[in-house]
Formats: sequence, C-alpha cells, structure tokens
Amino acid sequence: MAIAVPNKLDNTYEQPNQRAPLVLGESTTYHTITESVSSIAERMPSKGWIVAFLICAHVAAFFGILIAYLIYTGVGVWGNRSPVFWGWPIVNFVFWVGIGHAGTLISAILFLFRQDWRTSINRAAEAMTIFAVVCAGTFPGIHVGRAWLAYWLFPYPSLNLWMWPQFRSPLLWDVFAVSTYATVSLLFWYMGMVPDLATFRDRSKNKFRRFVYGVLSLGWSGSARHWHRYEKAYALLAALAAPLVLSVHTIVSFDFAVSQLPGWHTTIFPPYFVAGAVFSGFAMVITLLVPCRSMFKLEHLITIRHLENMNKVILATGSIVGLAYGTEFFIAWYGQVPAEKFAFINRAFGPYWWAYWIMVTCNVISPQLFWMRFFRTNLVAMVIVSIFVNIGMWFERFVIVVSSLSRDYLPSAWGYFTPTWVDVGMLIGSFGLFFTLFLLFCRFLPIIAMSEVKAVLAHQIHVKHAAEHGETH
Amino acid sequence: MDASPNMAESSSETSKTRGVVAEYDTPEALIAAANRVREAGFTKTDAFSPFPVHGIDEAIGIKPTILPWIVLTAGTIGCITGLTMEVWMNAISYPYIISGKPYISLPAFIPVSFELTILFSAFAAFFGQWFLNGLPKFSNPMFTSPKFDAATDDKFFLFIDARDKRFDDKGARALLGDTSPLSVDDVIDDPSPASMPKAIYLVVIALAVLSVFPLLVIANMRVTKSSSPRFHIFWDMDFMPYKEAQEATILFRDGRAMRPPVPGTVMRDDSNLQLDYQLGIQLDELAKIDADRATRLVNLVQNPDAQAAAAEQPAAPEEVVDNTPWVTDNPLPINLETLSLGRQKFEIYCAVCHGRDGFGNGLVNQRAQKILATTWSQPSSLHEDRLLEGKMADGKLFNTISNGIRKMPGYASQIPVADRWAIVAYVRVLQASRNASADQLPADRRSKLVREAEVLKRKLEAEEAERQKKAAEAAAASDVPAKEAEGVVPDTAEPKAPEAEKESAAAGEADGKPAAADAEEKPASDAPAGDAPSDPKSDDAAGGDEKKTEEKPTTEDEAKPSDDAKEDSDGGSQATEQAEEKAAEEKPVVEEVDGDSEDEDATEADN
Repeated sequence: MAIAVPNKLDNTYEQPNQRAPLVLGESTTYHTITESVSSIAERMPSKGWIVAFLICAHVAAFFGILIAYLIYTGVGVWGNRSPVFWGWPIVNFVFWVGIGHAGTLISAILFLFRQDWRTSINRAAEAMTIFAVVCAGTFPGIHVGRAWLAYWLFPYPSLNLWMWPQFRSPLLWDVFAVSTYATVSLLFWYMGMVPDLATFRDRSKNKFRRFVYGVLSLGWSGSARHWHRYEKAYALLAALAAPLVLSVHTIVSFDFAVSQLPGWHTTIFPPYFVAGAVFSGFAMVITLLVPCRSMFKLEHLITIRHLENMNKVILATGSIVGLAYGTEFFIAWYGQVPAEKFAFINRAFGPYWWAYWIMVTCNVISPQLFWMRFFRTNLVAMVIVSIFVNIGMWFERFVIVVSSLSRDYLPSAWGYFTPTWVDVGMLIGSFGLFFTLFLLFCRFLPIIAMSEVKAVLAHQIHVKHAAEHGETH
Repeated sequence: MDASPNMAESSSETSKTRGVVAEYDTPEALIAAANRVREAGFTKTDAFSPFPVHGIDEAIGIKPTILPWIVLTAGTIGCITGLTMEVWMNAISYPYIISGKPYISLPAFIPVSFELTILFSAFAAFFGQWFLNGLPKFSNPMFTSPKFDAATDDKFFLFIDARDKRFDDKGARALLGDTSPLSVDDVIDDPSPASMPKAIYLVVIALAVLSVFPLLVIANMRVTKSSSPRFHIFWDMDFMPYKEAQEATILFRDGRAMRPPVPGTVMRDDSNLQLDYQLGIQLDELAKIDADRATRLVNLVQNPDAQAAAAEQPAAPEEVVDNTPWVTDNPLPINLETLSLGRQKFEIYCAVCHGRDGFGNGLVNQRAQKILATTWSQPSSLHEDRLLEGKMADGKLFNTISNGIRKMPGYASQIPVADRWAIVAYVRVLQASRNASADQLPADRRSKLVREAEVLKRKLEAEEAERQKKAAEAAAASDVPAKEAEGVVPDTAEPKAPEAEKESAAAGEADGKPAAADAEEKPASDAPAGDAPSDPKSDDAAGGDEKKTEEKPTTEDEAKPSDDAKEDSDGGSQATEQAEEKAAEEKPVVEEVDGDSEDEDATEADN
C-alpha cells in the first residue's frame, strides 16, 4: 500500500493535472506513519531533547520563583509606574494570546476551508495554542496585584463583596473570552487527539502505558459509527472555534480600543489585532516545527510544501499588519485630532522610536522576503524570519501599550517606562514554560494527527489508483 | 493470517460469541465487503478503521447524528444564560450606573453572551459526541483480540453482530470469507469484569470526602464566633501600627494620639499667608513699632475662632493719633472686573446705610431720620474730605469695613477678604466721581470734554444774549421786572441761564472742579436738605430750580458728557449711571417744573 513518491520530491512545484503530494516517501504506508509518529513517544528521548528540556525546565522554574517573589513582595517589583501601569505583563499577555491564534486558525479555519495540508501541522499548532494561552493567562492573573483574589474576576455569588462584575468593561469580556478560548482549544485539541491516543494505547508494550493511554483514549475503537459522530462533532467544534478565535483577539483589542487614550482609541484595532495574532502565531509554528521535524525525522510528513504554505500566510498577514500601521497614521492625520496626531508622531519619533522601528523592520519588511521562493523554502532563512517576526510582534504590543500610556493628554504626567530585572526574567521565564510544555508534548503525545494524515494518504492513493485506471476524478 | 479457526474460536465454546469480525488491508476492500454484507441483509454491522473511511456511512447504513441539534440547543441556552446573567447581575441585583448608560446595555452585553454561546456549544459538541458514542467505555469485546490493536494502525475491520436476526455463525463466516479478508475471527465476550475494581471506588470516595473537609471547616469557621483573632493568610495591611482617631498614646504627655498643630503653624493656603492682605496693615512695619499688637493680629488671623476671646480692636480709635502702618495700595488688580465686583458688594452691604451714591443717606438712614431714632448716628458720607484717597489709606478703609467703626459693625464675617478689597476700590471710584479733577482724565477725554464745554458755553451765551435782548424788549414793552418773569414763566430756561452758564464754564475749567460736573450734579443737588451740608459741592447746588436749568438743554449734546463721565470713572460709577438714567428719563419731560418729582427720582435712584 505504499505510494511511490520520492523522498526528496520537491512538492512545492505544482504538477499539471495533479495535486502536489502532501505525504512523501517511497515506502510510506499507514503503518510507517504510525511508526514514525508513535516511536517518538516510545523510544528513549534523545540527548538533544534531554538537554533542551533541562534548560527549559530550569527557566520555567525560574519563572515560578519570580511569580512567588512577585506575589510575596507585590507588583512594585515590576517596572510598572505611573503613568505606565500596563507594562510588560500586559505586553506579554497580548503577545502570548496572539501566538495561540495560529493553532486554532490552522485546526479550525483551514479545516472548514478543506485545506488538507493542515493535517500534518495542526496537532503541534493546537498544542502550541494551549501552551501559549497558559503563558498568556499567567500574566493578567498575577497582574491583578493580589493574585489569590483573581477569582473575583468571575461572576460568583460573593459573600464578601455583595456585588457582581461590571459587564460593560472590556476587561471582563477579556476574562470570558480568554477562558472560553482556553477551554474550547483544550477540548478541540483533546478530542482530535483521542484516536491517536488509542493508537498509542494499542501499541503499548507495558501495562502502565497501556493503562494511562487507555484511560486518555476513553476506549476509542475506531468504529465507523463513532467516526461518524466524531467527524460531525469535530466539524462543529471547528465551526465554533473559527468565530471564537476571531472574537478573542477582537476582545483583547477592545481592552485598548474601548478606552479613550490616544493611540488606543481606534476602530482598526480588532482586525489589526487578529491579523497580527495570526501572523505571530504562524511565525511561532515555523520556529517550533522546523527544528522539530528534523529532530524527530518527520520531513516526509511535514514537508517543505507545508512550511511554504505557512510562509505565504505569514507574508499575507504581515502585509495586512503593515497596511494597518500605515492606516493608523493616515487616520491620525485625516482625523485631525491633535492628541491622536501627537500619539502617532510620538510613536515613531518620540522616546520609543527605537521600539517602533524594530517593530516595522521585523513585521513589515522582514516577511517581504517571502515574496522570493528561496526564502519561502529555505529552512534557515524561514526560521530567521520567523524569529524576527516574533520579536517584531512582541515590540508591536510594547509600542502600543507603553508609548500610548507614557504620553497621554497631560504632559505633566508623562514618564518613561523602564523594565526591571523581574520584567525581563518573567518574559524569559514564560518562554521557558512554553518550551517546557512543548517538549513534554513532543515526548508524550502524538505530535502529528496520525489519523488525519492517514486519511490524506488514503485520498492520495485513491487518486493515484483512479489515474492509473484511467478514471476521471 | 487466514480464516482458519484460532484461539478465539476455541475459547468461544466457553465464552459467549458476540459476532464475527473480518480484517482487511485497504479501505476499498472494507467498503466492498460492507456493501456485500449489507446486500446480504445484515443490519447490525460495524466497521473499524484507523481513520474515517469515505463512503462507509452508506455502506453500513449509518443514520445522520442528532448532534448538531444538541449543539444548537446548547448554544441557544448559552446565549440566553449570558444575557440573563448580565441583565440580572448588572441591572436588577446590583444596578450599575456606568457613564449614564442604560442598565441594560445590550451592545456591551454581546461579547460575554457570544463567548458563553460558544462555550456551551463546544461543551455540547464535545460531551454530546462522547455520550452518543457511549464513551468512555473501557470494556469492549473487540479489544479481546490482539489483532484488533491494528485497527488504530493500518488495518480495517468489518464486524457482524451476533444479535442480528440473520446471524448464523457459519453463514456469517462464509460471507465474510468471500470478501477476500486477511482473516475472519469470532469475537468473544470480554472475560474480565466489566465493572471497575472496588478499590477505585473506595479511593474516589475517600478523596471526595477529604476534599469536602476543608470546605466544611471554612464554612464552620465562617458561622461560628471565636475569641481568637482571625486567621490571616495575607495581611492586606489590615494590621498596622498606627493610632485610630481618639485613641490614647503614651508618647505624649497629654496622652492624645491626635496632635494639635504646633503654635505658629500657618495654613497651606496662599491667601492666609498674606497677612497684610488679610488685615490691611503692613505687619512688618507694625512689628517695628508695636510688636505685641503685631503678634496679636497674627494670632487673630491664624485662629479666627479665637477672635472674640482675643478682644483685639484693630480699628484704631478716631481720636488717638493713628500711627498704624496701613496698607496704602489696594492689593487687587484695579480693573473693570474688580470694580464691578466691588460695586455689586457695595450695593449689597453698604448702600443700605451709605446710599448708592455714598453720601450716607441710604434707606436705613432715611427711615431713621423719619422716625427720629435717638440712638442713630448719621452714616459718614464717603465723599468727606478726610476719607478721600491720600487722606485715608486703603488699608484703613479695608479695616473699617472689616471691623466696623462707631455704630457700624464689622463685616469680616460676611464679606470675604477679596470682596472687601473690591469694595475699597469701588469706594475710591465713587469718591473720584465726585472729586476728580479734569487733569486726571486721559487726554482725549479731557479735550473732548473741553470741546463740549465750549459748545455748551457758546450756546448758553447765545441764549443769554437772546434773553437779555428779550428782557430789554420786554422792559421796553412793559414795566414787568425781569425777576418776576423768571418765576412766572418757568417753562423757559432763561431765568436760570446765568447759573447754568457759570456751572458749565466751571466744568470746562481745569482747576480742580469736577470734570463730570454736568452729569453728577444732579443726585447731589436733588439730595434732601439733611444731606446737603456734607456735600462738598453744595455751593453749586442751588436747589431744584437750578436742576431744571440743566435739564432744559438736555439734547444729544448734553447726554454725551454724562457718557464720558461714566467711562472716566472706570465705567462703574453708580452716580454717573444715575445721572444718565435721569437724563434719559427727563428728556420727554423737559417742561416739568415740579421740584418734588426730582426729589422722588433721586430717592428712587438711591434705592
């Protein structure tokens, strides 16, 4: 049942009259797919993995210590001072929430558009979503000051307060949006993983593994009746997650846009934030998957074509973001509001000019390299650009949060934001947490949606057979 | 693998057979086999595959799932829940007023309702799917065969249930054997118990009980009273080493934790620091002359409550030589705003006694005169010589307003400091309106006035000439003396012309006579007799008749000087305005001779 697709086939070129294959390998069968994905979790971890895990786990532990220090001492350990009360914590929050968006976009929106190339990358992207949302949720949770009272954000019948949350505040919408997003992403991710967990269960040699994966896979048998409802549920979840993912960053942007601060109070924010989120998320997927596919020998499943498609998305969303930057300036000039005009001139040429131009260079200029085929298909080049995009998108949030807050209507209250070592440590620490979780995911869970890739392979074989038998398909 | 009997079959004699399963290599083979089995009439069949096989639904006859309806219902419930929650919480249970928006602000309620719609729908899709699939279910006869592990890898299985009414072990096996399977096996019951081990239940129950325990302890502590202090995980600055109001302390001898201000403390308020401004006295100078008095005055300002106790009489007695270094210049900026304020306050507080013109004949005085009040002493005319600028310092005037003099009470408690200074400024204006000399006017105003005086003078001279001519004619015509004609023919201005002429000429002179004499003469001249002695210009005021004389030529020419006079006195002079009003009023009644009506007008104006 193997398909005769050469291992080194460049599937980024379209062949006339046929679809470019998404699964490569001369001897690739359903079983080899199972084998190559499952063995990652079955064999002893490689030295590279162990070293990476140890480093990341220590950084994550450092993050935990910093959080304990913050809670014990108070938020004064951060650089948040008047007038910039939303410093790095909120920058990091928006950055991480944005990263998460690519996962849901790949798994939900590309599913609805029947983009088969999503199947090789959706699992890792969804996992990335969950871990990014974990990092994102940490920051507002500890930013409330008294983190042990963070549950006050939720509407519960309080015997202490005798009052309810204020539902006209975008910050409360944010609580609902991010928690719903985290929940639905988790359900979606887990549900997609159950058939693959059943594969792990059935391949388990020792009883403990079989028990754990047996419980996690809920007794999945692969029955056609189950598949029928499962696919329906998956499609429904995709249809629900698609508007959800758009709503989440829209509502995050409302945190800014609903206020009256010059530079924040703009209607362009929701689409601009969503595009930026997808942009940064895809860049993060590239950053994660390029090393992953070579470390775990998955080049035949995560092909150059997959990566190239993602680079095209990065190019498109990067250009949308660039357009949004330009539009902001145009509206600031066209609107003729002096404070608004000042805010944007201050952004580009004020004390934070360096951050602004880092942002423009990384977000607008660097993805333009992807117009060229070489950069879209060269692994080193795409990783470098994706890291630039990640840096740029962090700076975008920094520019929005800090430059607007530091200089608002009242010049006597202006200030210059300086982060403390705790700010820097927490940003690094959150990356440590993120990579630790991702490495654990790679080690213990199916990083590629095997059942979906097999379905793509089945389709590929079917098409090939049909062609051989002279049928029109 | 082949279709020959295997271990499963041999054990099927002891275990109940649940059906027959065939194994295939490709999804196409599976679908082909499923079609054949369905055509053979079997309905209780199932297929197992590592991925969803396209076309299997029709092949084994799977009906569409009701899952979408469950999700729709849950989504609707989520939306309604969100909206109801928001309306109830923010509009009914605890109404919030936010930016004057309605309690039920639907647009602001959309995001949370939307998120809850998605959340409920997603839960329904997720849990509904597992529920409809009967999962989780860990005991499955299919799992008894080790071969079946490949169902999640690369093999495809077709299963015929033993409960199908057409089922017959041999026939089913034969049918499946015809579909070129890799193998055909019996599926036997799972010999292991389907129920979970009791130990798991025990552990779960134990954990549940333990998890409730802390909550019960907390609940118990919330409703019971205890003499020991509350247990605080986070202190939240609840306990701080500071003293509450009214608490005692051992740190100070008087035992008071709340400390009174240190003596000599001054309030952090600019106006209170400006003691000169508060008192109208140059304290630095006073301190050199009379340090005790200066100290007393400072204490007085700083502790206004102790004013009564202090028994300070800042107003120096009239008779004693006043060596107090009064503030000589009004600290307020002298502009139209200050003067308008001063005028307003003057008319509220001062005019009742002193009169709006400042001659000391306000309504209270008039009444006192009328009832011959014995204890009443006449209010000073503000135009008295001793009160004029240069004679009495602004500071002393301020002090008089603040603390009173003779029968006049102090107004410090009623009139704020700034307003008192404004009144002082206005009093100066009032005085200037009576006493200013023409050279105090700006040059352009003065020359204008001179021109007008010339015009008037010429006119009066012409009239005089005509009158004399007429008189001569009359004398020639009859023996009636000119003096009688004056009284008998009041509707002509001729008899008074000499006086009018004299006056207008005086106005033209720059020798210290009032510049605005024409206009301001009237109230003064109309004032009752009692007022007259204090009028510095009473020599000019020859009574009602003279008044008439002036009125007679009231034309545009006449009105102008009064306008000018008004402006000259910084536009705030009541006296000027009064004159103007009168001029306007009297234009149509030039012919009226009755002196009484003039008096009434003056009184009204005073009011």
